[in-house]
Amino acid sequence: MSSTVAASMDRPPVATVGVLGWLRQNLFNSWPNGIITAILAMVLYALGGSIIPWAFGEANWRVVTANLELLAWGRYPQDQAWRLAAALGLLLLLSLLSWRSSKLPAGAGLRRLALLGWLSSPLIIGVLLRGLKLPTAATVVNNLGYYLYRPELLPLLDEAWRAPLALCLLGALVAFSWALTAGRLPRLLSGLAGAALFGLMLPLGLQPEPLIPGLILPRLFRLLLMTAAGWLAGRSLGNSLSGVGEIRKALLPAWLLAVPVLAVLLTGFDVGVEQVAPAEVLPLVEPAIWGGVLLTLVLAVVSILASFPIGVLLALGRRSELPVVKWTCVAFIEVVRGVPLITILFMAQVMLPFFLPQEITLDRVMRAMAGMTLFTAAYLAEIVRGGLQAIHKEQYDAARALGLSEVLVTGLIILPQALRAVIPPIMGQFVSIFKDTTLVTFAGLLDLLAVAQSVIKQREFLGLVREVYLVSAVFYFIISYTMSRASRRLEKRLGVEERAT
Amino acid sequence: MADTIIQCSNVHKWYGHFHALRGINMDVARGEVIVIFGPSGSGKSTFIRTINRLEEHQRGTIVVDGIELTHDVRNISAVRSEIGMVFQSFNLFPHLTVSQNITLAPIWVRKWPKEKAEEIAKQLLVRVGIPEQSDKYPGHLSGGQQQRVAIARALAMQPKIMLFDEPTSALDPEMIKEVLDVMIGLAKSGMTMLVVTHEMGFARAVADRMYFFDEGLVIESGTPNEIFEQPREDRTKLFLSQILVH
Repeated sequence: MSSTVAASMDRPPVATVGVLGWLRQNLFNSWPNGIITAILAMVLYALGGSIIPWAFGEANWRVVTANLELLAWGRYPQDQAWRLAAALGLLLLLSLLSWRSSKLPAGAGLRRLALLGWLSSPLIIGVLLRGLKLPTAATVVNNLGYYLYRPELLPLLDEAWRAPLALCLLGALVAFSWALTAGRLPRLLSGLAGAALFGLMLPLGLQPEPLIPGLILPRLFRLLLMTAAGWLAGRSLGNSLSGVGEIRKALLPAWLLAVPVLAVLLTGFDVGVEQVAPAEVLPLVEPAIWGGVLLTLVLAVVSILASFPIGVLLALGRRSELPVVKWTCVAFIEVVRGVPLITILFMAQVMLPFFLPQEITLDRVMRAMAGMTLFTAAYLAEIVRGGLQAIHKEQYDAARALGLSEVLVTGLIILPQALRAVIPPIMGQFVSIFKDTTLVTFAGLLDLLAVAQSVIKQREFLGLVREVYLVSAVFYFIISYTMSRASRRLEKRLGVEERAT
Repeated sequence: MADTIIQCSNVHKWYGHFHALRGINMDVARGEVIVIFGPSGSGKSTFIRTINRLEEHQRGTIVVDGIELTHDVRNISAVRSEIGMVFQSFNLFPHLTVSQNITLAPIWVRKWPKEKAEEIAKQLLVRVGIPEQSDKYPGHLSGGQQQRVAIARALAMQPKIMLFDEPTSALDPEMIKEVLDVMIGLAKSGMTMLVVTHEMGFARAVADRMYFFDEGLVIESGTPNEIFEQPREDRTKLFLSQILVH
């Protein structure tokens, strides 16, 4: 008898496996659940029952197919469209490469190739999309001379910034040497040299000079700030490198090199070389005329990639023990989070040119990117701060007790854990900014939704509103859904759940 | 003492207005095993945490292996890399494997090549009795195993001194022995050790000297024999009678 019982136990009870079993266990396991299932099934049928016949019968998809190029890349020149295909091809190739090499060990050549490819892809794709003026060898040499000997003409290096930059470099060098030299005499010497040079330069830096338009930094404040920044950078670099034996040998050449660099920075030479305009290799396609899916994706990808490091730095800055750093970060985060995105986009169009030196001109697309990047960075900073707060103080203790420097403690122990814990909200923020790219319509850019709206107004397709909106909705959904799937996969791959404390 | 490795004189520490350490003096010779015990809140953990400057002392001097602890960042990291520390709650890095936990500091601080660090990690895991676990994550190990990994991680830096902050207090009773066995082995190998613990069996077996802390002061110190057999202070007697009852 016991054997028959055992035999019957071998098979599962009827209808707990297979399609029927699943239906029974999940959809009809109780009366209320069964009724809910039935009602929802009817609702779904009613919705699908009207949309599906419409989509395959009544709908006139010609409005989409005829405008496919416009929806895809706006007014990007027809004869240059191959560049978009090439960019897409590069991305596909890199994805394939990563997928093929994902199972190889960490140091494998194919993996390195994939990494190198991804790292250089922003530059390559940027050049592909925007175009390139490639100078000839002669113009390179000529313009190199031009930039070397006319430093005041360097696009970023306004007259007003030369002395502060020189002091910044000097401060860094003195602090660097100070951190690396152990004996009293060398330290005294480097300190004296620094003090002497500083004394020589301070009056130079204080000479009357025009302020950068729109930049409200008094001269002395700028000088002190740059010197302090240089000093801190030099000290931390020196401290983190002090373990490397050969680094001290670099000190003398660094000082020797510093003298001409500082001199050029402060005075500038003029040998009368004129700048020569480079030749155009890939015709320039200004971002201002990009549109459709292309513009939507470029805006989203650039603001996502750029906002991530800024957000992490802001989060770390907010927890800094240096009050100036801390309160600057807090002020930035709170101000940006207190303003609607659309306001930031408007302000980016109007205010950014006001804050930047005159030599730099940003087109409308870049201004929108900058606005969205800063907006996303502020939100990311708060998310990352949440992750940082979840890390126990003991993790800092353990890492510090091993002799790791603060940079390594943060980079190897704290950030990896904090970021892992906040992958879902970070991805949520990314999805959110992707969808919010539609707001750039109001800043005069022609993203997918703006193009869609202009397509609706075409005379021959008048009234075909549903088709166009449905297609753009499906596009946004597919990308957003792919992003949240990617987030889940990333979490799984990093073993977020199983590696929690 | 010619061979003094840790020299603490008149160490004070305040948390706000709370006077946590009220003038601690302690000299430790190379190879000595010191057991520190006392009621909770007596400052014993705070004290050993000042030795690798996880806590900053505000008055007095601490000299470790010839380097005085000051605000100088390089001094602090130099001292920390010579001192291993084991914590009450293990504090392994949960996102790294056992092997990565052990090799992290040798690779990044000592700049050893990865292969060398991994070889040493393997030897250390054998030494602490868990050679099979190197690719697991800390969350998959028992408390006793985690604490032994923590000891291996500290030893991987080849420290001159090991600090133990109540290493067995968070462990289930059956796991205490496996950790104490590793610590006894370490003590017998000549390591300089400062151990905050209430494991009096351990103290009796390997301690050279014992310090009784209360209210931020050293109430009494001496060899285990002196402390257990003829304690001079009433507070020491009372405390010992309380913890030796069970």
